[in-house]
Amino acid sequence: MSSVKSPALTPADLYAVLQTALVEVSENAFFVFVERCDAGQFAALAEQMPAHGAGPAGQSRAWLKSSVAYVGAFSGSVEIALPERLGASLVASLLGMSPDEELAESQTFDGVGEFTNMVCGACLSRLGDTALFELRVPAVTRMALEWNPLTEAPGRAELVCLMVSLNDLPMRVRVLA
Amino acid sequence: MKQNNPPAAQAKALNILIVDDSATMRALLHRVVGLADLPIGTIYQAPNGLEALKILETYSVQALFTDLNMPVMNGMDLLREVAKRDSWKNILRIVISTDGSKLRREEARELNVDLYVEKPFRPEVVRDVLCQIAGADAS
Repeated sequence: MSSVKSPALTPADLYAVLQTALVEVSENAFFVFVERCDAGQFAALAEQMPAHGAGPAGQSRAWLKSSVAYVGAFSGSVEIALPERLGASLVASLLGMSPDEELAESQTFDGVGEFTNMVCGACLSRLGDTALFELRVPAVTRMALEWNPLTEAPGRAELVCLMVSLNDLPMRVRVLA
Repeated sequence: MKQNNPPAAQAKALNILIVDDSATMRALLHRVVGLADLPIGTIYQAPNGLEALKILETYSVQALFTDLNMPVMNGMDLLREVAKRDSWKNILRIVISTDGSKLRREEARELNVDLYVEKPFRPEVVRDVLCQIAGADAS
């Protein structure tokens, strides 16, 4: 996004914008604090994932990958990878549900998509206040149980990658060209 | 989609339409509307502008909360349709969107949008909007 149409924006700028947007969305709408992780801390949290216990059919151990594409003055996508149980806790927090209330899978997916949508929108508002963008409908996928972000082979062009923890669970946020 | 509140609350009822493709956001707004100490009548919900128009054609609505980026018919197209209809001129229009750009806000203003709330928002913001609406209606 920065390299082609917005040459003045450095990866460091984009990283800062992404981090600010993530914190704003997490704390203001989902009432969850964001802690930055270095690669080692993120890996430790990700490796602990199986120890967090399995839900029905092992769903709570699976990762979700959520993506929102945008088109406009420049184009790309914001992609978030997070454990499904973190996604469920974010949605429960947003909706003011008690921790023991169960969420339907569709609610978790929809809420995680909305979380991504808000992060993407908050980023774009900071990057191009005078530019118009269209955000696509969020796409949320449950990854295979053995998948985690640490073992993912590089695919599309990654502009920035932010690793954080929320509620002691890992989350990776990327902006892709 | 609609939910009726108890009949006692409908004496001076404010009927509300929430339009968002995210069921989570609709549920959130529904909950937030309940936080306002106001007589809320019926809260209608629609996942896109087209479904919202069907509700507006059928029921009396005083306040419209709409997202912008939605499939089938987006929020701006919905607001354009609402602006065309004289019988809908008194509906209060509140945009709730992740898009906070100046251009989009100006576009919304030209379509007689009363308030533009950027996501993420704190629930109190929407509650206060409703209280403003009630205050304006009472005066």
